Amino acid sequence: MTPPIPPTPPAPSPAAEAEKRASFEREALVHLDTLYRVALRLTSNPAEADDLVQETMLKAYRAWHQFQQGTNAKGWLLTILRHAFINEYRRRSRHPETVDIDAIEPFSVFEDVQDDDPQGTFFDRIVDDEVLRAIDDLPEQFRETVVLSDVEGLSYEEIARVLEVPVGTVKSRLFRARRMLQQKLYHYAVGMGYIKGNSK
Amino acid sequence: MNCRECKEHLYEYLDRELTPDLERDIRRHLLDCPPCGEQFDFEKLFLEFLQARCRAQGAPADLKRRIFNELFGE
Repeated sequence: MTPPIPPTPPAPSPAAEAEKRASFEREALVHLDTLYRVALRLTSNPAEADDLVQETMLKAYRAWHQFQQGTNAKGWLLTILRHAFINEYRRRSRHPETVDIDAIEPFSVFEDVQDDDPQGTFFDRIVDDEVLRAIDDLPEQFRETVVLSDVEGLSYEEIARVLEVPVGTVKSRLFRARRMLQQKLYHYAVGMGYIKGNSK
Repeated sequence: MNCRECKEHLYEYLDRELTPDLERDIRRHLLDCPPCGEQFDFEKLFLEFLQARCRAQGAPADLKRRIFNELFGE
């Protein structure tokens, strides 16, 4: 016996469609710049970042009925983006990296510059592209943590939810990511002659 | 609170992630201890510098058009 054909769901009314679009524009599309910046740092490739963001928005719009109005849309969108990246882009562009956490030196650049430039004015001479390059060179798990925190301003709790790791992991990754970035940019500044290097 | 304990909470303090009590203890230590105060100021400036250098970039206008077109057919 052939199973009964399920009834076709009724098409949404034009009013419901208009309401869906309005709420999506109001709560999701306002985060386009954030999604783009995060996608660009994850893929390190503007064309792939475009595709990743477009795909994220498409998936989010289709699943918009599942989003709980009034909760954190930015976190919800970033989770969709990150899953899409892991499933479809990382396979192509980069391999998941494992990091020997103990190999990262935890000291602060402050210890090297406190006599010559305790206010870190040498940072002001480092251009945007150099900073973005330094971020792109971080191992992926550090890169995504530092971008969500220091570029996009998410709280530890929000980052933990997006990355699906405990808050303690966010803290330790953030600590090491910032120290790695600092050291990289400091060495760059020394190489450019913006600050005298410490030979110790 | 001593210097080591204070520095252990450096980023949590700057990220405003501490309990009010711990935050107050650190603020007090920083007032009493100029070397820790200087280091915290340096790290704060570094975080502000990072954000200022990275936030200028937004989604390209063409991408916005593509998304609107795909979602709403315009």
